[in-house]
Amino acid sequence: MTQARMLALLKRPLSIAILAILVLLAGGELLSPGFASPRQIVTLLTIAALLGVVAAGQNLVILGGREGIDLSVGGIISFAAFLAGNVMQQQDAYLLQAVGTVLLATFCIGLVTGLGVTWLRIPPLVMTLGMLGVVQGGLVLLTRGVPSGRAAPMLSRIVSEPLLLGLPGILFIWILIGVVLTLVLRRTTFGLNVYAIGTNEAAAALAGVPVRLTRTLLFALSGLFAGLTGILLLGYTEYVFIGAGDQYMLPSIIAVVIGGTSLAGGSGGYIGTMAGAIVLILLQSILTTLNIPPFGRQIVFGVTLLGLMLLYGRQRRLRG
Amino acid sequence: MPILEASGIRKQFGGVVALAGADFSLDAGAVHALIGSNGCGKSTLCKIIAGSVAADAGTIRLDGNPVSFSDPQEAAAAGIGVFYQELSLVRPMTVAENIYLGREPRMRTGLLDRDALRSQAENALEQFRSVIGTGVHPDARVADLSADQSQLIEILKVLAANPRIIILDEATAALDRNQVDAVFHRIRALKADGCAIIFITHRMDEVFEIADRVTVMRNGLTVLSQPIGQTSHDEIVAAMVGDVMPPARRERKHVPAQETALEVEQLSAAKLAGVSFKARRGEILGLGGLHGQGQSALLRALFGALPLKAGSIQVDGKRLAPKGPRTVMRRSIAYVSGDRARHGVMAIRPIFENLVISLLSRERRVVVQTERLERETRPFIERLKLKFSSLQATVAELSGGNQQKVVLARWLATHPSVLLLDDPTKGIDIQTKEDLYSTMDELCSQGVCILLHSSDDEELLGISDRVLVFNGGRIVAELTGEQRNRQALYEAAYATAPAAA
Repeated sequence: MTQARMLALLKRPLSIAILAILVLLAGGELLSPGFASPRQIVTLLTIAALLGVVAAGQNLVILGGREGIDLSVGGIISFAAFLAGNVMQQQDAYLLQAVGTVLLATFCIGLVTGLGVTWLRIPPLVMTLGMLGVVQGGLVLLTRGVPSGRAAPMLSRIVSEPLLLGLPGILFIWILIGVVLTLVLRRTTFGLNVYAIGTNEAAAALAGVPVRLTRTLLFALSGLFAGLTGILLLGYTEYVFIGAGDQYMLPSIIAVVIGGTSLAGGSGGYIGTMAGAIVLILLQSILTTLNIPPFGRQIVFGVTLLGLMLLYGRQRRLRG
Repeated sequence: MPILEASGIRKQFGGVVALAGADFSLDAGAVHALIGSNGCGKSTLCKIIAGSVAADAGTIRLDGNPVSFSDPQEAAAAGIGVFYQELSLVRPMTVAENIYLGREPRMRTGLLDRDALRSQAENALEQFRSVIGTGVHPDARVADLSADQSQLIEILKVLAANPRIIILDEATAALDRNQVDAVFHRIRALKADGCAIIFITHRMDEVFEIADRVTVMRNGLTVLSQPIGQTSHDEIVAAMVGDVMPPARRERKHVPAQETALEVEQLSAAKLAGVSFKARRGEILGLGGLHGQGQSALLRALFGALPLKAGSIQVDGKRLAPKGPRTVMRRSIAYVSGDRARHGVMAIRPIFENLVISLLSRERRVVVQTERLERETRPFIERLKLKFSSLQATVAELSGGNQQKVVLARWLATHPSVLLLDDPTKGIDIQTKEDLYSTMDELCSQGVCILLHSSDDEELLGISDRVLVFNGGRIVAELTGEQRNRQALYEAAYATAPAAA
């Protein structure tokens, strides 16, 4: 490998993210011995997986371009956890039914968002913010503010307890999503269409790409991934309070950006986003270790996002 | 002494010479018509005078003093007003706000004086009151106006600045006869006040009606400048055409068949007013005329990218309802735009993706079979002599000509039977053009029907089997055989446009 290629490889967002992971791990170990112990790493990865799954949907919506962003994921996660808990009622027998119901419901919520963006031409920022309000409000109406529903034991085991090689099931689910999503993006017509509409929508439409159908599906899938996150979150914490999903909205966007997906759409992929999710969880964990309160973490996250935008903003790319 | 004098103006865009030492002189109290074919340099010359483009060389004198405007504001401050063909109106704003944009009457507090604005606009509108039609009042939104109404508002906006020198670039294009009369009436009044007017039009009769002097440009040079009384229609056309040399007919292998591939009847859409024609298999049917007379609109309408208002289309004897590119491509019709950046390539994506995207849509496959797709697109890459380092390199790394080849190869891979080419050689190098021409010839030999719109008249006349000349959204002439020459093309393109609705 030549020096130039090494340098180019080093400049790739994925390489930077992996480097950041190593630095953060080392830093954490320095600050608090045991931070980088195998057990602690598995715990951190489990938390990262929850973020990673919701970021998968966010990633798709952002790749599709035209200011694609999904602000409704937090509300959908809370709603999904509530719905899942109430359908399964701590019974393993109802687990599959609960998963099916939740995924269908959240896919449909995303579908409505997508139709609003494509057919009614409502900007994603406004449409998903509106949908967030509807879902959050609906949730308060349904629960009257009192959390209800609990995880089925099997769900909790899958999420938190070691399944294989000492790793919990949620990690395998995450890896599976990573493999499937990467294949879909790189090796299917749908994936190529996503990149095409994210890069140059007018040219894509003239090339025969079903622009509106593709974009609608992206929002529907984002709803689905948020729904899956809600189910996994329920399994992780066994029962879920009403605003539990809210904390995922901003980090899901930052993870995508850290992973090298352009907020303008059309370039990037999910592997980077996975690394981005791990970076964020490590950062959050270190801040907790340093006894930084939650609002301090919010500030650090916000500044990270703005800093990255500044950095990537310099790399103006040619697009249509 | 002329009020404005431009001499030896040169301007080059990349490798293309737009102006090669043009001279132009404008007298106060006169209307000066400026005409020439596509790409002759008249628009560039106007832009330089108006300060929106900087000249590479040459001098512009205003009242005898050399000037050099660094932006349109400076030119405007010097009293130069420009009517832009593409209109500069802000659509969501009202008629009054548009007319006085940047010159709004203010109250002593500095706030906008809405009443004064309204009454000034009311006065301005008065001069066109009888011809502007219904629904135009100071508070009407420009977005709600028709094309001709917007054009009249744009004229009022230019005049609101009280310019001494007025450039009207196709200011009458969308107007009907009565509206043109009203505009001419106003122009005569301005003339009497000592204004100088540069009048660009594609209607020859308007030149003889309003102009005091006419200047013809060709290939970036001023080739004729005469008082209107001392020239004639024929002399002007001859000056536009230049040396009467038949366009170089390209050697060709293909012979158009007798079968009709495409039949269009009374097609109407935005910029199209009832177009009918037939195109045969194995034929290159050229679409010519001045810029924006409906050539591009026709191709986009056929491809489903522009909604139809009326008319019928038959492909191979079967009806086609162009609901969108996806329905049209299923009938083996392909469209390639010359505007590569906007309507062609996905620049930051790999060449491979750009090549296979249409084939994938056409085949409706789920999985991208990389090897098969490479195999299927390779013949076209080779045929078009596409130069690239790797199929995984981004399209942005390619030259403009090679980018155009990618878009063409993308469509050829779908094996189209009708190919719509919308100014495909715009801004690309000669070698690439040659590659495209020989590919087109070969495609026609295989029975493909090609509709070619080109802004390069030489190219259009040289490679088309027939040429349809567009003017004001209609086909005004069909040039076949030896008629395919510049003389006939310009005669038709500069004929009186039929009165707009």
